[in-house]
Amino acid sequence: MKNGLNEREFLPRLLFKGRNLSKTYGGNTVLRNIDIDIYRGEIAGLVGENGAGKSTLLKIISGVEPPSTGEMEMNGSPYKCSSILDAHRRGVGMVFQEQSLTANLTVAQNIYRGRESRFSVLGLVRWGKMNAAAQKVMAAVDIRDIPPDRKVWNIPFAARQRVEIAKVLDIVSNATEDRSLILLDEPTTVLSREEMESLFREVRKMAGRGNGVIFVSHRLSEVLELTDRIYVFKDGEKTAVLKTSEASEDILYEKMVGRETTGEYYLSARQALPSDDVVLETEALSQWGVFIHVSFKLRRGEVLGICGVEGSGKEAVCSVLCGDESATGGTIRVNGEKRTFVSPKDALDAGILSVPRNRREDGILGMLSIRENITLSSLKKLASHGVVSLKKQNEEALSWVTRLGIKCSGIFQRISNLSGGNAQKAIFARVLGSDCPILVLDHPTRGVDVGSKGEIYSLIREITKRGVSVVLLGDTLDECIGLASRILVMKDGIVTGEFDCSHGRKPSQVEVVQKMM
Amino acid sequence: MAAQTQTQTQTNMGSKMKLFVKDAVSRYTYILCAVSVVGAFYVLNPRFLSMYSVQNMLVEAAPLLLMAAGISFVLFTGCIDLSTGAVASCVCVLTGTYVARVGHGIIPLMILLGVAAGFANGCIVTKLKVPSFIVTLCAQSVWKCVALVQSGGGSKNIPIASRSLVLWASKPFLHFPAICWIALAVLMIFFFIQQKSVVGKNIFAVGANERAARMAGVDTAKAKIYAFVYSGLGSALAGMIYAYKLKSSVPNIGDPLNLMAISAVALGGTLMSGGKGSVFRTLVGVLTVTAISSGMNMAGVDAFWKDIVYGVVLIGAIAVNSEKGVRDLVVR
Repeated sequence: MKNGLNEREFLPRLLFKGRNLSKTYGGNTVLRNIDIDIYRGEIAGLVGENGAGKSTLLKIISGVEPPSTGEMEMNGSPYKCSSILDAHRRGVGMVFQEQSLTANLTVAQNIYRGRESRFSVLGLVRWGKMNAAAQKVMAAVDIRDIPPDRKVWNIPFAARQRVEIAKVLDIVSNATEDRSLILLDEPTTVLSREEMESLFREVRKMAGRGNGVIFVSHRLSEVLELTDRIYVFKDGEKTAVLKTSEASEDILYEKMVGRETTGEYYLSARQALPSDDVVLETEALSQWGVFIHVSFKLRRGEVLGICGVEGSGKEAVCSVLCGDESATGGTIRVNGEKRTFVSPKDALDAGILSVPRNRREDGILGMLSIRENITLSSLKKLASHGVVSLKKQNEEALSWVTRLGIKCSGIFQRISNLSGGNAQKAIFARVLGSDCPILVLDHPTRGVDVGSKGEIYSLIREITKRGVSVVLLGDTLDECIGLASRILVMKDGIVTGEFDCSHGRKPSQVEVVQKMM
Repeated sequence: MAAQTQTQTQTNMGSKMKLFVKDAVSRYTYILCAVSVVGAFYVLNPRFLSMYSVQNMLVEAAPLLLMAAGISFVLFTGCIDLSTGAVASCVCVLTGTYVARVGHGIIPLMILLGVAAGFANGCIVTKLKVPSFIVTLCAQSVWKCVALVQSGGGSKNIPIASRSLVLWASKPFLHFPAICWIALAVLMIFFFIQQKSVVGKNIFAVGANERAARMAGVDTAKAKIYAFVYSGLGSALAGMIYAYKLKSSVPNIGDPLNLMAISAVALGGTLMSGGKGSVFRTLVGVLTVTAISSGMNMAGVDAFWKDIVYGVVLIGAIAVNSEKGVRDLVVR
């Protein structure tokens, strides 16, 4: 028993129970029939690849989103909450992955945001009292170096994370007498080793008093160090529950990865043999503070997969390649010619276009029709002297709708009415229609149903056969290995490995994961 | 399970039907609005739709139509242009002052001025990243001042000797004055730009989702600059038409126009947040606004009260048209 407390007293007492929890977003199931039990005094780990459903489960438990089906119980009574505040009242608090502090308020104001009334007289807050209380709350978590009256934007990121943790612990422990459930979603990403250890000490103390903790991290070593039990997720399903004492990194890798890739799903046999001419080359490409010295050569007809956990810098590399962000060092050469991109338009002129990661925000123009969405990047091709031929535009849109099998009531339908898979196909149509020889596919199958996934895979095979080159950030590792002809693995902003993945020589997922984490 | 699926399909059908009705209603609100305004004034005073009255209204509507059609493009991008009235004032003064000396050569010069004013707005918004609200508010102040300085603060008539130069604009042509036809012709050009040009399509793309448009390789800065240029062009034409119509230079002619133009666009159902709308809808909006204005005149409403009505109409029209179903929509 790790936490040095009496197992007999707490463990049999169930704190939180979830049964049959599922979540579906528009026909796309991201979480399937999850049963989860958290006991008092327990620290449970949650591991899985990106998109395995960990974050979704946490969102459901913390009241951000309701489950599509399933029941939950907290402290023996049914638990249903419609908001984070609701969850707080029931003693469930989450420390979010993204910083949820308001930067232009002070530390104390953040800790007591929404709970100022206890310090106020006739609507006027007694700040001194609030600051003193905040000081005490933070001292409970061993934070003594942050003045509570400092604005959050003036304190470093790691400190913000600790303030956030202190805040959540205070909220939930006020709501219930040590019968709280605390959710930690990757709290350690920005912490130094010492800070992390003090956080772990605090988490153990919390658990020792009888609270339950769910801990999510990409770093398996931390999960193994801190937790009592580990839930392993893959593709929205629970693949294993292990006692930490019986788990090791290798076992976890295996369970996270699940079955071996069935190569046919990714049509590896149809993988194009890349030619020798290099179409895109980066040399020591860097973005200050995000990634450094990324060099690779992309050949014609090749699929170059970039793997890494979220925050490894792969997303930023992608943004730089498609011109959305600028590099701070290094060079990009397209067909041997040095190029600098100020905006995605420059990249498009050079022949690079991307399928963005966030379809709703960066991909579709929801208010406009399918036609306008599909032809957006190829208007120049369809126009002469700046005047678009509507006939050509209709034909182009219609031909893509038929070719990719986009299910819609017509090319004038608003694209926001399409399902995720069909909207994604429309974006593929836009990108392919632009005739760009280099495509950056940033999570091309995110939020897409299984059927459309298969179609997108065969589409990628088809275009690479025609000589289009692809830089791919896979939605899952499985996918990245399955599709790529070569893989670049990144960790903490540097390239840690490179694999040749020609057909029949695919590296195993465990090999790749080991370089990632 | 099967039963559940069935009820789901049924509710889907129900919500689809509802969506369809809602869609149809929101699509034609602007026409309904125009018809009811005209209808109401007609009931109050049947002379409202007499030939004389309609001719008058269209003469009133012509400059407003030009300005509103131009400003529509800015609103399609989700930006706003508050400088149109001041640009019109300025152009009106310059035209009135110099038409006697320069002759018809003043027309291309003033068009150039309008384009330049819009270009400046657009460049400041896109290159210096200043919100369009601020940029055009400041531009408004600048152009207003130019108009006042140039005119010396008061209206001046175009000298009788040069009147012949401007008379053609008010001469009827096929029952209606030439300026009405000019306004209509410019509207058609704007409609063509909106429907068929690459720039027009990009302007809508920027308004619908600027991030996504940028990621798709659209030159968003260029699209916005063009939108402001069209707006400046429309304002300049409006100012010129006023000078020709009133045969004088009036330094404060544009003051109420900005509000009227934006009200007209909003009444047409163009979204203030961008991405949706049409200059044709703006035409209907302009007719509605003009009908309200003339109707109030005929009903004997004090001119001072008119701006109150426009203000209320603008807020009402925007409230009716804004997309409320969108979660987390932040209105700035």
